Amino acid sequence: MSAHPDFHDHSLCSDHGGEHPSVWDLPQVPLGLKREWLALETRRHFLGRGVKALGAAGLATLLGRTAPNLLANVAAAGTPGPNFAPKAKRAIYLFMAGSPSQFETWDYKPGLAKMFDQDLPESVRGGQVLTGMTASQARFPIAPSRYAFAQHGKAGHWVSELFPHTAKIADELCVLKSLHTEAINHEPAILQLTTGNMFAGRPSIGAWLSYGLGAANDELPTFVVMTSKMPVRTNVQALSNRLWSSGFLSPEHAAVALRAGNDPVLYINNPAGVDGDLRQAMIAGVNDLNRQLFERVGDPEINARIAQYEMAFRMQTSVPELTDFSSEPASTWELYGPKAKEPGTYAYNCLMARRLAERGVRFTQVFLRTWDQHSNLPTNIKVMAEESDRATYALVTDLKQRGLLDDTLVIWGGEFGRTVYSQGVLRPDNYGRDHHPRCFSMWLAGGGVKPGVSYGETDDFSYNIVKDPVHIRDLHATLLHLFGLDHNKLSFKFQGLDQRLTGVLPSRVIDAILA
Amino acid sequence: MRSSLELKERRTWRWLLCLAGGSVAAAAEPTFYAARVAPVLDRHCVVCHGPEKKKAGLRLDSFDHLMAGAESGSIVKPGDVKGSELHRRITLPATDEEVMPSDGKPSLSADEIKIIALWIEAGASPTKSLADFPTAPALRPARVAPVPLAPSWREKAAEIAALEKKFGVKLVPRSQVPTDGLVLRSASAPQRCNDQVLAGLAPVARFIVDAELARTPVTDAGLKALGSWENLRAIDLTRTKVTSAGLAALSGLKHLEVINLTDTAVDDAGVTTLRALPGLKRAWLFGSKATVTQYPVATAP
Repeated sequence: MSAHPDFHDHSLCSDHGGEHPSVWDLPQVPLGLKREWLALETRRHFLGRGVKALGAAGLATLLGRTAPNLLANVAAAGTPGPNFAPKAKRAIYLFMAGSPSQFETWDYKPGLAKMFDQDLPESVRGGQVLTGMTASQARFPIAPSRYAFAQHGKAGHWVSELFPHTAKIADELCVLKSLHTEAINHEPAILQLTTGNMFAGRPSIGAWLSYGLGAANDELPTFVVMTSKMPVRTNVQALSNRLWSSGFLSPEHAAVALRAGNDPVLYINNPAGVDGDLRQAMIAGVNDLNRQLFERVGDPEINARIAQYEMAFRMQTSVPELTDFSSEPASTWELYGPKAKEPGTYAYNCLMARRLAERGVRFTQVFLRTWDQHSNLPTNIKVMAEESDRATYALVTDLKQRGLLDDTLVIWGGEFGRTVYSQGVLRPDNYGRDHHPRCFSMWLAGGGVKPGVSYGETDDFSYNIVKDPVHIRDLHATLLHLFGLDHNKLSFKFQGLDQRLTGVLPSRVIDAILA
Repeated sequence: MRSSLELKERRTWRWLLCLAGGSVAAAAEPTFYAARVAPVLDRHCVVCHGPEKKKAGLRLDSFDHLMAGAESGSIVKPGDVKGSELHRRITLPATDEEVMPSDGKPSLSADEIKIIALWIEAGASPTKSLADFPTAPALRPARVAPVPLAPSWREKAAEIAALEKKFGVKLVPRSQVPTDGLVLRSASAPQRCNDQVLAGLAPVARFIVDAELARTPVTDAGLKALGSWENLRAIDLTRTKVTSAGLAALSGLKHLEVINLTDTAVDDAGVTTLRALPGLKRAWLFGSKATVTQYPVATAP
């Protein structure tokens, strides 16, 4: 609803028994004028909303949802589906919010060890504007990683000792070392990765996929988000539904956020005294009223509401089955570790992500935050890596052994990079790193991405990209490509533009990493 | 659609005409128009702007036609790339209403656009030779048309929709190319997709290339039905009741590439049966009774 600022328009609420005053309530206005005003208002509604209603019709066609009664007033026509045959059927995006330093994770810079506490050459920094957190520092002393690296797998990826489990799946990973972004603070940077734009209000990746491909399983949301319990409590990134909203797309494309607790969806069970039949009859009645309203007003938000009611009803059956881990064999717990039994942990969410993938959920986004180590980096990154490493390894391994990795894309990474120079104190065993948008690392696995390769290179200071830069738009274009979607064609008309996940600036599919 | 053979024939004709009417130098070396420009137009434009359709009164299947232009006027101004409608149309953003090729057909590559631009810039000559364009990119061979995986389901769309409704399954096109086949999806109500449903899908089975049957009540009886789904590439039977004995029914599926038997009772006898499948690339056996978790067995790191 937030996408439509005129939603709180009063003209039609009052005569539907709504609580807002209407034209009719105004004293001392001639009746004829009131009628004229209302006619204008209705016409404005028609003009304003009619276009969106048409959009909804197109949407329903694209959706391909076949749930009974859903958008039944829209004649089904055309074919849902991708532009070309997809490689990936689903994706799991492990979002490391706060941004892990590339120096201690995936961008090995052995040359820095000899440059401890030396000043970063001015030529490297190239007059870049820094954040307020370090701009006033007198010096920019180089901080080498205090963690060692070793090569792993046939791929020979250099993997930090912080990730002993992930190192075992090196040959599955496509490591990107040349991501870059314009954003230098968490909020816009996370938004840019999740929605393609630094400003809030755009559809998230999962919403675009839902819009473009519809649901594979009508009983569960197409797009699910989970926010993991925080291993540390400093420098916490704010995560909220602007990161997984449907923006200007129909609200049913927004993610359903599963809560980090014993009850992942509140009020999913019927209250005492209400059985399934009664609940079904109630929802059918409400939907009938909403349908009548839709026929009069034509606001697609009403259809979205109908769809949400029906989805909630279906989730009454599907969610308890989804969240019942009792059927998991002992091998699952050996793989994911004991933390996976504790609802809301990152490990639990990784296991849940596998269960969602098995059930056809198209896009699952798991957030693990507090990677933002401006100080005490060596200590805190170790805590974070331990939280992430085993469960991430377990998820990829589990997907692989169950034959799901070939068509499930896994993404691991943060929103920007960190500086080669230390923020604040610099000792061999203690330092901090500031935000750095010019380069950062991520990895992809499965879903039609070439395994065991590395793409892109940074300079000796991991400060500038020297080969094969990858903008976030390129990552998004590639992701859509794996799902069989042409990023130039997946668009939605809004505010006079054919809006796209990749926007209007140039972007490219990274052919070199396609399997 | 014109076959590539016909196109080639026409190109040869153009060649011969060129040889007959051209200079001696042209005989020794092909013209840039014939060797670079015409193939690009053939590949992207002639299907709508040729002897058959002539959309907007425009034909692009010969130099003369190209220079004659469309109903609205000439589309090539020799020496003026920016002023040439041909160049403007092929360089518009993919979402522009006027972009060519239209209707979502693949756009010209950067190299192909450069070929057109260089040629117009140099005067849109019919006789200049390849050697006159040292900076022109080479033409990459046209992308091979994708191999059809199944016959087109388009004509049977109504029957497919009726069966979806009847059985509570989804039959989803893999892409907008109808010969890419359909995916059978059961995830919304796996319990409904039983052996009888698989038997009942026989009338549209030849369109199905991917059968997602994980967690369904499918048994060996259902595999008998699948055995006649001639175009299947992938079957997911995770957590079903199928056994090794039932897999023999799949022996005729010569295109089958991937089969997922995770959490089934399939044992090594089943693996032996699978081995005989000529197209099989991968079988997943985690949680089954087989002694391997995948076939072919993963090589030790």
